[in-house]
Amino acid sequence: MAVLRTEGLTKQFGGLTAVDDVDFELAGGELCSLIGPNGAGKTTFFDLLTGALDPTAGTVEVAVREDTDGERADGGSATGGSVGWIDITDAPPHATAQQGLHRSYQVTNVFPTSTVLENVRIAAQAHGDDSFRAWRNVNGFESYLAEARQVLERVGLGGKADAPAETLSHGEKRQLEVGIALAGDPEVLLLDEPNAGVSSESVDDIIALIEDVATDHAVLLVEHNMDIVMNVSDRIVVLNRGEVIADGPPDAVRDDPAVQEAYLGGYEPGDVGDDTDAEDPGDATEEGDAATDDPAGGGEPG
Amino acid sequence: MAISDPNPADEAAATPEDAVESDPTAVATPDTAWWRRYLEEHVAHVAVIALLAAYPLLHGALLASPVASEARMLLPNVETMTAVLYFGLFAMSFDFISGYTGYLSFGHAVFYGTGAYVVILAANGKLPLVPHTTPFMLLLLLGGVFAVLLALGIGVVSFRLTGVYFAMITLGFSQVAYVLVRDWGYLASSPRDGPFVVGPEGAMAPVFSVGVPFVDSLALDIGVLTGDSVVLGPLSLGTTEVSFYMVGIVVLVCYLLLQRVIHSPFGRVLIAIRENEERARAVGYDTFRYKLIAFAISGFFAAIAGGLFAGFRRSASPDNAFFFLVTGDALLASIIGGFGTLAGPLYGRLLDETIREFLSKEGTGGGLLPYLREVLPESILTVDIAGLTVQGAIETFLNGHGSLYLGLLFIGFVLFVPGGVLGYVRERLGGTVAQRVASRIRGGD
Repeated sequence: MAVLRTEGLTKQFGGLTAVDDVDFELAGGELCSLIGPNGAGKTTFFDLLTGALDPTAGTVEVAVREDTDGERADGGSATGGSVGWIDITDAPPHATAQQGLHRSYQVTNVFPTSTVLENVRIAAQAHGDDSFRAWRNVNGFESYLAEARQVLERVGLGGKADAPAETLSHGEKRQLEVGIALAGDPEVLLLDEPNAGVSSESVDDIIALIEDVATDHAVLLVEHNMDIVMNVSDRIVVLNRGEVIADGPPDAVRDDPAVQEAYLGGYEPGDVGDDTDAEDPGDATEEGDAATDDPAGGGEPG
Repeated sequence: MAISDPNPADEAAATPEDAVESDPTAVATPDTAWWRRYLEEHVAHVAVIALLAAYPLLHGALLASPVASEARMLLPNVETMTAVLYFGLFAMSFDFISGYTGYLSFGHAVFYGTGAYVVILAANGKLPLVPHTTPFMLLLLLGGVFAVLLALGIGVVSFRLTGVYFAMITLGFSQVAYVLVRDWGYLASSPRDGPFVVGPEGAMAPVFSVGVPFVDSLALDIGVLTGDSVVLGPLSLGTTEVSFYMVGIVVLVCYLLLQRVIHSPFGRVLIAIRENEERARAVGYDTFRYKLIAFAISGFFAAIAGGLFAGFRRSASPDNAFFFLVTGDALLASIIGGFGTLAGPLYGRLLDETIREFLSKEGTGGGLLPYLREVLPESILTVDIAGLTVQGAIETFLNGHGSLYLGLLFIGFVLFVPGGVLGYVRERLGGTVAQRVASRIRGGD
């Protein structure tokens, strides 16, 4: 059933505990959103999962991969109950990627002068066995090219295949971000604010993309726009100062008093936020009430 | 690049058999014969190779023509061109690691020097277990293997670092090697001046031949003094010309091998590392291993270049093989010719050597001053302008100052043509020269 789980995951930077004793489980096929105020530890949590950072304590494990496609779609495959677990706590990023954990980045992080197609093709090549072949021309490996073109169509960049990535618009770069993660044949997609800085016209495209990829992948989404979060998520996990303070379906989380206090404090008019995250409730108000007018908060360090 | 006569596809009539054996990856004209398509795709390569191959003959013909003085002034002589080839290969190997993965290998000379010293020491009987009569081609490979081992050792330590720290630690390693060979008496009678090919005590110094090992009829000796000369009908090639061709063949083979690696899936990973190593790791590449292997490949070909250099010159010294300025010259050639273009550094080196020879002090290879002495009347050369004669001005500001103008050129390239000669051409054409010429021949865009 579950494809990814953490136990007691903790990361301390000096005296600061960025992620605090997080027990988390992600089910196959689930779209789970991770929300929380600035500095709650969302991106750090991603870094711990993918191996970009090593945790101070705790474990990260992924389920043994099913090699047949399609089983992930419903989340409950035939062998669902009895899958084994692989410990990836100390695995470096390339190893977690090989285990099916792929992420997109909050700040666009692509291969700038390569073409859009090559950006995605190189990610597709990474899960094959051909990357040490140094004698055959790369164009002879057609499966990766075909896979890459398919992914580009899916993320809506089919017409931009031959453009260098750096020439794309910001919104297109966000789509490419997701495309690169998608091309890695992920078991779990970690999307770190795919909407960051995207203009309001393009937000709908990205939402559609998130919903689309969620049909055949388990997705963990970091997102600030509460409208999007409430609409697309199967489940919401709220982080505050590194701790999970709520975990459940959107409606339950919205009504949770602890969440109201920490994060959605400004969600109801008249509630004067007296907590330390004073700036963020203000943001949430704006986004919650008038999300479509507002390019969702860009460049926030998680 | 001078590409003329784009022979349009007038061979429309193709047989069905050709279509069967055609490569499915080729998009255009699948009905032409594979070799014809191959040539079409490589017209630019063929043209450059043909130009280089014709160079000694062309140069010889021009020197016997009415424009002899001009030709002698402007064109590098064949010996210099030979140096362009082997050093060009070294610069290409430098570009392979630095231009494609983005890791500036600032100690690359250590591999060049290793290749050179292996050849000479083996010929002098100073490499244990290696007979001094070992064919030159095997010595080149042996030098390459030494360099691979060295590269793996240096790489394992150095690739823990990135950016300028990587450049510094590789520089450190090569300087350690430089000091070692400079002070190690075993290597040469005067290690500071470096070894010469003298042969072991009591034996003849071996000659180095390029070709099939152990088959005399398929190999020719290289070296200005020791090489073979060849008479083919009306054509007579001196030792320098023969050396130029033989060195050229080895360089060409090495270039084609390097190019093949660049265009492979492995090569694409190297480019991804240069573009964004963090992301390359995140999509699943263990970048450390890729970098290490690329470094070893690069070291191998640097050593081949060094071996050719030693085989042609029959001597090497710490200062022209191991010193960090040797790497500096490769960097210069790469920047001018085009970083990350593989072939570019060869053109960069060609420009470099041409300018140096044009402004050389001795004037042995032709150049500006001997030419002016020849053409200008004495009265003009001695005209006094503000206390300086024309000849004096030339000697002060031009002669022997090739490096100075090269330095200015380098600055100009870094500022205004950051892609280098070949990078600029590719940018203008919108693809590699080979691709664009091929598509133009086919009547494409």
